[in-house]
Amino acid sequence: MNIYQPTLMTISDITDETSDTRTLRLAFQDPQLAERFDFKAGQFGEYSAFGAGESTFCIASSPTRKDSIECTFKAVGKATKAMRELAVGDTMGFRGPYGNHFPLDRMEKSSVVFIAGGIGLAPVRCVIWNVLDLRDRFDDVTVIYGARSVPDLVYKRELAQWAARGDVKLWQTVDPGGQTPDWPGEVGFVPAIVEKAAPSAKNAFAVVCGPPVMIKYTLPVLQKLGFADDRVYTTLENRMKCGIGKCGRCNVGPVYVCKDGPVFSAAELAALPAEY
Amino acid sequence: MTQLQELARTLLSEAAVGVVIGWEEGPRGARPAFVTDPARADRLIFDRRCTANLATYLSPRRTHLAPLGKAAVVVKGCDARAVAGLIRETQIRREDVVLIGVRCGGVLADPASTAPLTADTVADRCPGCQAREPGLADHVVGDLPPAPPGEATRDALIARLDASSPSERWAFWMREFSRCVRCNACREVCPMCFCERCVADKTQPQWLESSPHPRGNLAWHLTRALHQAGRCADCGECARACPAGIPLGLLNRKIAQIVAERFDYRTGDDPSVPAPIGTYSLSDRQEFIL
Amino acid sequence: MNAKTITIANLTALVDDLVASGTCVTAPARAAGGKVDYRPITSFPEAAFNTELPRRSLKEFFLPPTEPLFSWRLGGPGIRISEVTTSFAPHVILGARPCDAAAVEILDRVMGWDYRDELWFGRREATTILSVACPGVDGSCFCTATGRGPESSRGSDVMLTPLGDVFLADVVTPKGETFVGENAKRFDDARGAAVTDGASRTSNAAAVGQPKLPLPEVQRWLAHGFDHELWSTIALACHGCGACASVCPTCHCFDIVDEPEGVLSGTRRRNWDTCQAARFTVHASGHNPRADQAARLRQRVMHKFWIYPSRFGEVLCTGCGRCARACSAGVDLPEVLRTITALAAPGGPEEAAV
Repeated sequence: MNIYQPTLMTISDITDETSDTRTLRLAFQDPQLAERFDFKAGQFGEYSAFGAGESTFCIASSPTRKDSIECTFKAVGKATKAMRELAVGDTMGFRGPYGNHFPLDRMEKSSVVFIAGGIGLAPVRCVIWNVLDLRDRFDDVTVIYGARSVPDLVYKRELAQWAARGDVKLWQTVDPGGQTPDWPGEVGFVPAIVEKAAPSAKNAFAVVCGPPVMIKYTLPVLQKLGFADDRVYTTLENRMKCGIGKCGRCNVGPVYVCKDGPVFSAAELAALPAEY
Repeated sequence: MTQLQELARTLLSEAAVGVVIGWEEGPRGARPAFVTDPARADRLIFDRRCTANLATYLSPRRTHLAPLGKAAVVVKGCDARAVAGLIRETQIRREDVVLIGVRCGGVLADPASTAPLTADTVADRCPGCQAREPGLADHVVGDLPPAPPGEATRDALIARLDASSPSERWAFWMREFSRCVRCNACREVCPMCFCERCVADKTQPQWLESSPHPRGNLAWHLTRALHQAGRCADCGECARACPAGIPLGLLNRKIAQIVAERFDYRTGDDPSVPAPIGTYSLSDRQEFIL
Repeated sequence: MNAKTITIANLTALVDDLVASGTCVTAPARAAGGKVDYRPITSFPEAAFNTELPRRSLKEFFLPPTEPLFSWRLGGPGIRISEVTTSFAPHVILGARPCDAAAVEILDRVMGWDYRDELWFGRREATTILSVACPGVDGSCFCTATGRGPESSRGSDVMLTPLGDVFLADVVTPKGETFVGENAKRFDDARGAAVTDGASRTSNAAAVGQPKLPLPEVQRWLAHGFDHELWSTIALACHGCGACASVCPTCHCFDIVDEPEGVLSGTRRRNWDTCQAARFTVHASGHNPRADQAARLRQRVMHKFWIYPSRFGEVLCTGCGRCARACSAGVDLPEVLRTITALAAPGGPEEAAV
């Protein structure tokens, strides 16, 4: 057994979030591991499609629901395309949990604003459920989520659940032109909707994840609303291989994204060279 | 100033080019130089240590050189073949580069050496060279030195290999390839390896295994040699760059011999002569099909 | 100091003992074609101590260029994984250069960082390193600047110093102690004269002539030097060929690939890789954070002389000079370090005069 050897998982459920984005629910084949496994929101794993390779995804399910773990991915490369070919009952590999996590204990007794775009909702969704499962530890919870078009929204079932809850303020948006005739949500890019929603920065944290261009334009909006750099968190995506700080690939300036991240505050991000 | 330095100074001060790519004195002998300031044209040298082929720097893959502007490149006759190859395969346009040819009497195999040019120290492509005065050039500088010393030994070595049994040849090459770690230096220094995405790097599908084991290494070296068929400029950079000392020049030279025999073609410095790899002729031999 | 000596005759017999017992002995030796590599030897006369620097370093004996991580076999929806061993046969490296031995110890840091790389440490545990004090190679050596030196015993279990027809043998580590103990009949206690000769050897150090490079100041400059135009200047000649990383004793970046062998089974391997490769950091989206050679060359220098030392307290370089010798385009790391030293000096030149 060595640290590069994955543990075996069985695919227990498949959900197609959109035409190109899929969520897999994975159960540990080793019952002891199924019992013991734990992680914190924000950590990631290396998921194997044997024969094709490993891919890095956040653990998209919440640590408060431990019977299985989930990952959400788009089939863009060799490994993810192979994963897309797998069926319920098939075996995958998993190494993890790796990396750091969102500082939920620091966020307790505060409000949390979740902002996500497209498939960027996956790492954020993990934290959202973590917070909602411990709802009374947090003040206001706001979720602002957008995608290119209505079909591109991921976790549609869960968006409906959050919309139905009285203790979450949910804003959904699609890009101009992406709406359907009966779309009840907003139309506009995520940063514009954040500005419209104007969540209060008072005693609040923000968790942001999405395409680089979305993050680039959202951070200044949050700054304008009064969110301090060290109260805005995001998760970086870098090309990774080992996930445990040895292969050198995810090294950016003085940090290794797989060890010092992938969760970083906006302040920490500003100190990094633009190589991510 | 030498003729070369004077020409470089003129080209730069008249803004005919933004950079002159030549050779200079480095900590370990002659090495590529990129002169942008006409006042520093005196950095440029040409002597027997100027082994490096500068044509590779014209490859469009080198995005970090583009900001320097239009280039003038100093070329020996062998280097000019590489430039011709880039033009022939539409990687650069002839009018986009100024070529400064240097008359050459052979170069050392090792540009870090200070030894005189002898049959033992000369680069193995030089003896018998027919391109000592570059044909593809806007300017030609320097006096024509004597012909390179020594006999051409490569073809004799290839003939010896050809005369040995298949299992002996297999053992020879697998032993040489066993030192390969797939660093890809051979590919990165080659002017004709300009593919934006090399076949060896493609994963969908995976054509070649990237691992440096016997199977992967054999696949890589044979593929690269075949992809160089009729294109290799015989500049020797791949073998010089290889940190494991694999005699890659032999492979490329063998393929070049086959191309010469079957297509009556040798890579030259005239970009208007089409290469066999991209051309079809009714007189192409096809006895292996029928 | 636990000083022993060993005669050449006894060293020859020692190698015979080891080989006879099934221990693999690696030493610098001439390959076909005359170049020196670290290779297996079966008798001491094959060893070529202190001639040319072996083309590659010792890292391949602990991190092979390609290494299986595990194998899999499909059966229906299930998969069976076959583990690879993490214990290895005894191995003795004889005649290592001090720069190469020191590098292995530097890499222990990253290989043991939170997650213990059992493959690396399995090979480490199985291997005993006997170095030989070095007379220097050429003007590209800078081992003294990295805190090492031609007689540095960092990373060695036993340090040999040639003294005519005997070697002084300093035991450096407990493993070295065990080795000498197990082969005690081949070693003699060092007599006074030998020890004195040994002590005087430092005055004959080939360190004279090596450049003085204040690496702490280089490190400080690098921490703020990301946007300096130095990088676009020194990278002009660089082909991104990776030859430097392959011969480097401390470069350790690797790739992980799945290799199917037939339809049902295959092996996951790790292979040497390099930050100099254009596609090293490319994302699935096609975005490449290090899109040109200037950015990639900067990363190599930064990682070795700022990032690794700030994380692990050790410069990721032992000054062996192989990168400068291997580079076919004349990119010269000692020269780069000298340039940065000049830039870092108070009142230093505004621009790199390269």
